[in-house]
Amino acid sequence: MRDGITTDAENTDKWEVQLRKGCLELAILAALWGGKRYGLEILQRLESDSDLIVSEGTVYPLLTRLKSLGLVKSEWVEPESGHPRKYYALTPGGKKRALEMAAIWARFSTSMSRLLAPLAEGK
Amino acid sequence: MASDAEEKIESYLKRMQAGLRGLPSEESREIVTELRSHITEKAAAGGEMTVAAVEAALAGLGSPEELSNEYLTDQLLARAEVSRSPARVLASLLRWSSLSAAGFFVLLGSVVGYFVGSAFVLCALLKPFHPRAAGLWLLPTGGADYELSLRLGFAGAPEGGRELLGWWIVPIGLGVGCLLVVVTTRVALWCGRQYRRSRALPRG
Repeated sequence: MRDGITTDAENTDKWEVQLRKGCLELAILAALWGGKRYGLEILQRLESDSDLIVSEGTVYPLLTRLKSLGLVKSEWVEPESGHPRKYYALTPGGKKRALEMAAIWARFSTSMSRLLAPLAEGK
Repeated sequence: MASDAEEKIESYLKRMQAGLRGLPSEESREIVTELRSHITEKAAAGGEMTVAAVEAALAGLGSPEELSNEYLTDQLLARAEVSRSPARVLASLLRWSSLSAAGFFVLLGSVVGYFVGSAFVLCALLKPFHPRAAGLWLLPTGGADYELSLRLGFAGAPEGGRELLGWWIVPIGLGVGCLLVVVTTRVALWCGRQYRRSRALPRG
């Protein structure tokens, strides 16, 4: 069922979405590295510090899952005006996991860049 | 104006709440509260909260049905993975089976696995109380046919049958039974992980 360029472009898109989703867990843990943040702050950080354009509908359930895995903890904070905010912070286990994932990522991206170097030169 | 926008938010959250049935009410309430804060803060970012701003914020989250499904399967499978207790595993499989045929077959297989596993353990435990009747029996079923039957011994020793293991049923029953329960849990969780991974891929 291949019909030329459209399908190839779609496949590239799919691949990119997969890649982003695969990195999302690490990206969220990294966004919490500096201290506690609430959902919207995490989303804004993911958008500003990286071009990880993620759907909000993916981040919230993932935060809940990270919490039930014990990687993050949460607390409700009542602001002076407006709605209560659920702040997330890394647990010691979450910090450990983030460091492990970051190390894997660093190794992976180094070898990937090495592999891809000829492609950049041969434009 | 604001009330129209608020109504839109509440109707979204009501559908969300309906989709989250199956989670403990405490958890689903927390999820809804968090989403309400998200939507209102996002929609009011430009000052007044307009209907258009609310609609944009809701669109960012996706449909409540899809979003609640994402929460449920993630949540239940994740909890099952942490505790690894058969009850948790079965509860999450029950939910999963309502979402997809694959989940239904995994549930079916797991029920059989847990059932046979616990029957072996029970048989081993009851052997001291029903020494002559509990155990693995070879029973004639008419003609030259035989069937294997695990008996707990409440009905007394079956007639014409031959008990195969004797007192060996105690260590073997405990070993095989526990192994079956562990293997069933592992396989079910593995299937769940595969399912989650396949769903993480873009659809369509």
